[in-house]
Amino acid sequence: MTNEEKIAMLEDVLELDGGTLKPETELSSIEEYDSMAKLSLIVMMDDEFGKKLTGEQIFKFKTVKDILDFME
Amino acid sequence: MAIFVFDKIKIAGMACAIPKNVIRPDDFKEKFGEEEVEKFKQMTGITESRRTDLHQTAGDLCFSAAEYLLKEKGIDKSTIGALVMGTQSPDYRKPSTSFIIHKRMGLSEETAVFDINLGCSSVLYGIQVVASMMMSSNISKALLVSGDTGSKLTNQSDKSKVMLGGEAGVALLLEKTEEESKITSLVRSNGEGYRYLITPAGGYRNMNPPREEVMCKDGIKRTLYDPFMMGTSVFTFTVFDVPKAMKDFFKETGTGVDDYDCFAFHQANLYILKQIGKKMKIPAEKMPLTLPTYGNTSGASPIVTLCDTYGKCKENKDLNVLMSAFGIGLSWGVTSFHINTADILPVIEDDSWFEEGLINSPAEL
Repeated sequence: MTNEEKIAMLEDVLELDGGTLKPETELSSIEEYDSMAKLSLIVMMDDEFGKKLTGEQIFKFKTVKDILDFME
Repeated sequence: MAIFVFDKIKIAGMACAIPKNVIRPDDFKEKFGEEEVEKFKQMTGITESRRTDLHQTAGDLCFSAAEYLLKEKGIDKSTIGALVMGTQSPDYRKPSTSFIIHKRMGLSEETAVFDINLGCSSVLYGIQVVASMMMSSNISKALLVSGDTGSKLTNQSDKSKVMLGGEAGVALLLEKTEEESKITSLVRSNGEGYRYLITPAGGYRNMNPPREEVMCKDGIKRTLYDPFMMGTSVFTFTVFDVPKAMKDFFKETGTGVDDYDCFAFHQANLYILKQIGKKMKIPAEKMPLTLPTYGNTSGASPIVTLCDTYGKCKENKDLNVLMSAFGIGLSWGVTSFHINTADILPVIEDDSWFEEGLINSPAEL
């Protein structure tokens, strides 16, 4: 999966318009990245990547790139 | 794997008592804002819940439910061989609340009485504990009660918790039987998650620290005395470990989703239950939801759900129930049992409380 495809998935989860996110975007600057979005992210990682995303891991995410790197 | 099979023991009845006072998330719109409250309602599915008044306790609700259950079933109190209460909202630091209920009900001295300190999984563990006791004793009838009033401790500014909790007390009658009846139980625990749901102060580790509010990582201010929930970690636990336990339970018992009539789950929040239901491919009509009207009632919630769903059912229908509960500890499990809908009593409302139990001065003792 390319970075562009991963970003599109992330924008979908956060209900953002296409092209909003860049890898260097700071997560703290995204208003939509709230507690509910984090739960959606956990579900997406499970459904699409079969990965278990923990609360501890979510705390470590600082930029969009950190999330993209987890989507392997 | 900790899996237990109890032959010739059945759940012969269940009842639930709730306080009359209704709390609605909508009441918090001024405090938290319209958008926050609507988002909360959408995620949790909660539109209202019940709360006790200042001095009414989980023990009072459990007492009401247990009295009602024994009366409706026509059970002679002297035949009760054990009374076990699952709670984290005791009447006192000590003694255990089950002793207060024992006194109020007038049960015999020949009764094994104690509390189990568990939250959301208390009924599930309670069934396992009480059935184990019965299997290895001459006890033919036992009472298990469970309830919590967690909202009393919650910081009123904590938007993640203050609208979530509902209060209820439930009672189950377990009985030895000659009928073909079996209870199967799988229990699991993980102390690694002890910080995911925790009230850090007031216990013997840190008894009297300052009551200073501090900004937490989730942007909510709390003191050390306030219940804390690490929402994302709890969510990951519930959507991974709970379905896994259920799959293991199916494998161990040679059963599957189609074998059960009702999935009585701990009513954590709607989003969690939807995820579990989706993962396990459980038809929505087999998975009753009572979050909208009762909120998250901790350990009592699977029984609240059964009483609300089947309490008014007129037919005598045999139900094969799969119960799952999960929460603080971390603690979780799966239990299956048969119950006739005639033995599931409707939810009752009761605001009464044990006034004699309120000790205002040590000089009274």
